[in-house]
Amino acid sequence: MIRKEFYLLVQPLTEKLYRFAHAILPDDLQAEQLVVDSLNAYLIKEKKNILGRQINLQSKKEIQILRRIFFKGILRYMSDIGLRRAQQLGEQFKLDTPTEFKAFYNLEPKARMVLKLRYEAQFSVEEIEEIVQIPRYQVIEKIHNGRFLIVTDLNQGVAL
Amino acid sequence: MNDKIPANFLPYQKKITPYLDGTLSTQDRSEFEAFVSTHPEFEVYIRNKQDEINLVKSLIPSVFIEQDVLDSLDNEIRQSVFNLLKEEPKNAWENFSMKLEDWLTR
Repeated sequence: MIRKEFYLLVQPLTEKLYRFAHAILPDDLQAEQLVVDSLNAYLIKEKKNILGRQINLQSKKEIQILRRIFFKGILRYMSDIGLRRAQQLGEQFKLDTPTEFKAFYNLEPKARMVLKLRYEAQFSVEEIEEIVQIPRYQVIEKIHNGRFLIVTDLNQGVAL
Repeated sequence: MNDKIPANFLPYQKKITPYLDGTLSTQDRSEFEAFVSTHPEFEVYIRNKQDEINLVKSLIPSVFIEQDVLDSLDNEIRQSVFNLLKEEPKNAWENFSMKLEDWLTR
């Protein structure tokens, strides 16, 4: 594979990557920077694997499979870098929590990432385990706790 | 929401979570769905859970990205890909074409 082909594969993922980055770091500039840093880390670490892949650009199925592999790869670095950055910037984000979707943003960043992966990108529990690098039971726990906390928060809001 | 589950459905209770999370095997899923469709009370319970999941999905933000932000991000992605995935040119022609490609993607 040549770099131009790789670019053609990842270019349509830009918006999705930004949305994930924004779920971890709810700030436009931080999210933009996180997308670029995650991609750079992925390219540096996986350069040989990427360039060593063969691709038939005529095959839609092959394009879809490879795009998903690259998407997961970049998200893995995004999860690693983003969650560390969210920890460092934690206090700032506590002050700047968006007023919309408050229940979601009140969850810890890792839970937000897991919920987003599960319910927006429809990744399986096994795939999330691979991306976020946590054991399966923790993935399931975060999905259930996250769901519970969001619904509880909504019900409390309705009750008030 | 109805969160009570009839006691005689307990053997299938264990499969609710993997069913809703989409992690049941195809065979288990078919078996589970067959059971659900023949037990209306259980079906109501599952439907309530599915409604809860749909509600949660609607409470997860999908941030709107401005076109200029998207363009700038796309530009940065292109720069990163073309700078970091550089291969060593094997001959003068490859060297020239890579330089031309770099120049065109600036």
